[in-house]
Amino acid sequence: MAQQRLALWNAEEDLEEDVDMTIALDGYSQNVQYEDSHIHQPQIDESTLLAMQQHMAQQAAFQQIPDVVKSFIVHFHQAVLDNNLAEITVAYESGWNKYTEKFYSKTEWPEAELIAPLVNDDPIFLILYRELYYRHVYSRLQPNIDDRFHSYENSCELFNYLLNSDGPVELELPEQWLWDIIDEFIYQYQVFCTWRSKVTSKTPDELMMLADGGPVWSSYSVLNVLYSLMQKSRVNEYIAAQREGKSAEEIAEIVGEYGQRPLYRMLGYFSIIGLLRVHVHLGDFTLGLKVMENVELNQKTPFTRVTACHVATYYYVGFCYIMLRRYPDAIRTFVTVLNFIMRMRQYHTRSYQYDQINKTADRMYALFAMCHALSPSRLDDNIANIAKERYGEQYAKMARGGPDALAAFEELFIYACPKFIIANPPPYDDPAAINALISTSADAESPTQSLPQTDSSHRHLDLFLADVAAQLPVPTLRSFLKLYTSLGAKKLANFLDADEEELVQEMMVLKQASRSISRVTGSEGSSLLDGQMITTSDLNFVIDENMVHIAESTIGRRYAGWFIKNTERTQKILDDLKNMPLPVASKTTGPASGSNPQPADGAGQNRPARSGQKVAWGGVKAA
Amino acid sequence: MTSEWLAPSTRSELIENLVSGVDRYNPSNVGILEDYLYHQIRSEEYDCLANLAILKLYQFNPDLYNPDVVINILIKALTASPLPDFNLCISLLDERSLNSQLDEPDPLPTILPTLKGLHNLLFRCRFPAFWEIYQSTELELLRDNYTVEVTGFEDAVRAVAIRAVRATFTRISSERLGSYLNLSGSDLTAYIQKLGWSVDSSTSVVTIPPNPDNQIEATVVQESVKLPQLTKIIAHSVAKA
Repeated sequence: MAQQRLALWNAEEDLEEDVDMTIALDGYSQNVQYEDSHIHQPQIDESTLLAMQQHMAQQAAFQQIPDVVKSFIVHFHQAVLDNNLAEITVAYESGWNKYTEKFYSKTEWPEAELIAPLVNDDPIFLILYRELYYRHVYSRLQPNIDDRFHSYENSCELFNYLLNSDGPVELELPEQWLWDIIDEFIYQYQVFCTWRSKVTSKTPDELMMLADGGPVWSSYSVLNVLYSLMQKSRVNEYIAAQREGKSAEEIAEIVGEYGQRPLYRMLGYFSIIGLLRVHVHLGDFTLGLKVMENVELNQKTPFTRVTACHVATYYYVGFCYIMLRRYPDAIRTFVTVLNFIMRMRQYHTRSYQYDQINKTADRMYALFAMCHALSPSRLDDNIANIAKERYGEQYAKMARGGPDALAAFEELFIYACPKFIIANPPPYDDPAAINALISTSADAESPTQSLPQTDSSHRHLDLFLADVAAQLPVPTLRSFLKLYTSLGAKKLANFLDADEEELVQEMMVLKQASRSISRVTGSEGSSLLDGQMITTSDLNFVIDENMVHIAESTIGRRYAGWFIKNTERTQKILDDLKNMPLPVASKTTGPASGSNPQPADGAGQNRPARSGQKVAWGGVKAA
Repeated sequence: MTSEWLAPSTRSELIENLVSGVDRYNPSNVGILEDYLYHQIRSEEYDCLANLAILKLYQFNPDLYNPDVVINILIKALTASPLPDFNLCISLLDERSLNSQLDEPDPLPTILPTLKGLHNLLFRCRFPAFWEIYQSTELELLRDNYTVEVTGFEDAVRAVAIRAVRATFTRISSERLGSYLNLSGSDLTAYIQKLGWSVDSSTSVVTIPPNPDNQIEATVVQESVKLPQLTKIIAHSVAKA
């Protein structure tokens, strides 16, 4: 299928014959005639002239659209009209990117108004087209304030159409696109908030538009969309019903007419993940995990089919756990998805999202390294080794503790943390206040680089670093305790050149750092926030007045993994051997031996030394 | 362990609906949640998620901002240490713009660093230092205007210390325990009695009853092989047979 369609987009000649094209051109020439009648009027007033000039410019612009692109749009439209998911997928995933590379890598795609005649002014397709158009602007070019406002309006139109039509709409879109719609919506919200919070770089026009901006990209409107999609599709009820093993009919009844349609169900699910992401951007880590209450974090649900969504989910969940000081949970989350990415890698190298997934994976290795330094565990040596390889220098500093560690933690946190945003705009609607803000910011800019207004990641960084700083002496203490079974507090204090009382208090911190709330395994169906206190360290100790008693639990050597791996490998080798043609002399060519096993006997005769083995092969084959 | 934190048994149905539903975003509900906060302050209850919901409403609706409420929330979260509640609250405090339209000067910017300092001392188990700073003259404003209103604040701080001591010690001298609790003499004896801990009358050493955290044992953890690890191998053999 894919090949067929690729050929279609490649066929640059055949579009003149295209039926839809002629319809579109008809529509276009009608417009020209309409304008002509104006020209014949004796008096041409200024506005008509202007309209005419505009029209001429449009006409010229239309003619500049390469024919293949016109053809592509026409076919794309037809695929959407037919609800032909396979066709839409190819147009979306390959066609669009192909022509972006070819014609629009540095400029916008043609405006929706310009291509409207090609698609019979189909309003729904034009909304979808604009969705792609603005996404392209955001990812490849620099969006200006009009783009930012219009992309918001277009998103609203799309969601309005989906949510406020009479009943569920008939439209079908590929899951990947649905995820991208939600993902892009939140991304644009996030960059808008970041852009908006920088008051000094605004032109007077921009200031005016921001003052009148109203609900454009407001947090409430974004949350409203996500919650509406979630509720309309009853996706939470759907997940719960699935978990309870309800029958298809029961589920259909529970989720209602919207939730039965894949489009709404997937949008509902993606909205949950979207909410998680928005809450993390806003610094609300508990609420982020709370909205995920019903979602199963495993690899078996159909929702994991969109890899980008799957990876994003784990990234944000893991980050929430870090900010909740639940490092073991964060580690488990990252390990799960990093293993998944590693396994998926071979299938995804050519996907257009591969880069993005790789970047997120890199950040998760950094976050993993941080958690691993704070709460050493042996959960997965493989991932741990990769993390140490990538962030070896930082990891060594973090794991050692002490003064160098903070800088390493800071570096990795800033690299790997999500973008944080400020929910509310600066007071653009109050000219006096905004001017005051601009002038003070301008003053402040010279002595200190970072403004509190623009830098909310530092607020979260500071909180995290304060937690880390409290734990800095822990690795040193542990390394001393490891050497003893009992040790006087005074002696230990002397080693460390510390006051005895201070040291005893530090020991309480060590105890605290060896405990963590963690979601117990096998707690499927419970909230991600659930958990119980667990011990995270092998080294345990207790203080009896002034004597520290130490006990270490050791982990017996693990054999199972080694044996399982090698058994599997042996099975595979055996299978491969069985499937191989019988051994032949190296001089005989492959096809000959494959077509007829007889020559093998001849070869065997030439080399008597191998004849014993040959019998063995025969035996296996007979069995 | 977390169930009491997620949904305290003292939380009413009304509050539960606000905390878990979409109504949490409705600015007109802020009064209900604020009343609930003051109820927590008076009756030694604590509901972190409900208080976070207030801060969320403030985050989205700067007009609602009430510094006294924020300070009270932070004071309540302070004594949840070593749980991350205090940080979770701070995370939601967006930087305010300069022209916060308040009738009086905003007390938060001056009190926030103090509270952060106190939290840091508690999180780092520096209990004697905490008491010293908490009782210093510099913090008179905080004590007289805020913590005095929070019923049982000092006991809540003591509870933080008790949690740390219980996990770390099997026996502790009265003197040391007293410095952590800021108690001495008969007050300390009464407090220890209330905990049900015993004091050796001759040495005045306090014995802490055994609990999962102050019992140590050297163990060797043996590996246990779970069936799912072997499914691939077994399935393979079955398929071949």
